[in-house]
Amino acid sequence: MSDIKKTRSSEFDDVLKEQRKLQRKEKFKNDFPLYMMMLPGILYLIANNYLPMFGILLAFKRINYAVGILKSPWVGLDNFEYLFKTKDAFIMIRNTLAYNAVWIVMDLAIAVFIALCMNEIAQRKIAKIIQPIICFPSMVSAVILSFLVYAFLSHSYGYLNTRFFADNPVQWYTTARYWPLLLTIVHIWQGAGQSSVIYMASIGGIDKGLYESARIDGATKFEQIRYITLPLLKPMITMMLLLSIGRIFNSDFGLFYQVTLNNGMLYETTQTIDTFVYRALMQSNNVGQSSAASVFQAVIGFILVLLSNMLVRKINPENSLF
Amino acid sequence: MAKKKNTITLMKGEREFHYAALVIMTLMMLFCIVPLILMVTVSFSSEQSLVYGYRFIPDEWSLDAYAFMWAKRATIFRAYGLTILVTVIGTAISLVMTSMFAYPLSRKDFKPRNVIAFILFFTMLFNGGMTASYMVWTRLFHIKDKIWAYLLPGSLMNGMNVMLVRNYFNANIPYSIIEAARLDGAKDWTIYSKIMVPLSKPIMTTIGLFSALGYWNNWTAGIYYVNNPKLYTIQVYLKKLMDSIQFLKTTDLQSEATLLASRNLPTESARMAIAIIALIPVLIVYPFIQKELIKGMVVGGVKG
Repeated sequence: MSDIKKTRSSEFDDVLKEQRKLQRKEKFKNDFPLYMMMLPGILYLIANNYLPMFGILLAFKRINYAVGILKSPWVGLDNFEYLFKTKDAFIMIRNTLAYNAVWIVMDLAIAVFIALCMNEIAQRKIAKIIQPIICFPSMVSAVILSFLVYAFLSHSYGYLNTRFFADNPVQWYTTARYWPLLLTIVHIWQGAGQSSVIYMASIGGIDKGLYESARIDGATKFEQIRYITLPLLKPMITMMLLLSIGRIFNSDFGLFYQVTLNNGMLYETTQTIDTFVYRALMQSNNVGQSSAASVFQAVIGFILVLLSNMLVRKINPENSLF
Repeated sequence: MAKKKNTITLMKGEREFHYAALVIMTLMMLFCIVPLILMVTVSFSSEQSLVYGYRFIPDEWSLDAYAFMWAKRATIFRAYGLTILVTVIGTAISLVMTSMFAYPLSRKDFKPRNVIAFILFFTMLFNGGMTASYMVWTRLFHIKDKIWAYLLPGSLMNGMNVMLVRNYFNANIPYSIIEAARLDGAKDWTIYSKIMVPLSKPIMTTIGLFSALGYWNNWTAGIYYVNNPKLYTIQVYLKKLMDSIQFLKTTDLQSEATLLASRNLPTESARMAIAIIALIPVLIVYPFIQKELIKGMVVGGVKG
């Protein structure tokens, strides 16, 4: 009796299985075009993103092109040890962190300030002209930017030297101590307008009635900003801060490499992790240290992005990446 | 009358506030424009007058720089043409690839979409670093000194853009439309090309613009992957030009002008002229696309 039941149920199972299989096949056939659509993208992600992740292993090898990358010997953490013994490592990490730390705070203050000012301009038509113009510098490539800066700083013909320092021309491109300030100015020129856009959008979204009632109660402009605008911008500010902290080990390669005209005498104040990775790889042919630095940056960056996103999620889930 | 009353009720200090804001922003605007103006006027200065330095109003106007550029047109136009080619092809492929990737992800009935979304998303969090990337592209795919060097590494598709397009699909194209099309016998390819893409023009424009700008301004691919001068884009050409001038200066003690002349390199003003023609397409297009771009900055800024 039980035997019959068993065979029956197993038969039934088989039918069911068969049916499921067919269903799955059908489903796959139905979805096949969707898979095909994703194929180019998948292949690209593999080539562009996932293979380089395995490339991290290169940092633990001593690359010898003569025997090939795969056959190059494993050396453990040697590359990292060499890297962190050099003075380069200290300089580039210090510079990357210091510029970012100062710029994150400064950018934020400037962006919010610009957004507040733009919002206060009573002549809306003029504001509509100003906004695209202050955003334009972000469209300029680092190479063209380096030409613009060169027009001001060139030793013999530059605007600054011939106009203001004619008696005693300044060697801008070979004196390291000027560059923290110079790079900061260039950075503001290129990024301030763009980074204010997001705050302008948030201010634009604030209920105008709040200001009206504050005015009726006799609040001055400063008080309105202090007690209405800034508190309402706070979530956005916190979020942008956290997101930029996630990128604190990254730097704008174009700015630090090209605007400084790749000048070795400026490394003290212009070498960042990104410029070091490029120089070690392409100029001094030191693949080991280059990949050690680049892996260091990628791994720490990953951890920081995860941390900052966790915090963003706590504050405002809508704006977190995950 | 109502308006007048309004101005009277402006509180003390409010008008000053408006004007202060206007003045500050006008100064900011000038700060942004001034370097560009200097670049333009230098390109229209005669070489002799530049000996006394770059000026906002040249002592002597001249078209020499542009004449020089015309004389060198074989090199410069080649670089220019290549830049246009790379920008057009790159943007086109990028748009197709991104939207084709986004469509299945937007389909709630597509089972593997969560897994694939994660695969995509993980690339936004973690990368192998520049050196590993360089090794993969040069040692495995051998793109050195090929036009692929400008198109492939890094710029073709990214997680951010796919997410933006997918979110747009989800938010703006009701699923009922897709279902209705399906009932009418439309296949996925038809739905994608006849419904999804035409209905998402705004987001496609935005990411297309950013992608085009990225390709036009891309010079890092050139310094990593291109050594052949015939394959220089205009940005790479400018970058190498600056390199050779800096190099000559350190090795040679002649005055800059004679130095440049003896090597047949572009003069000061000609260099600025070349930089300007590299910037001109951006300048021309910008007024028409700035609204879209600024919109993109807001969206990209939050999630960027």
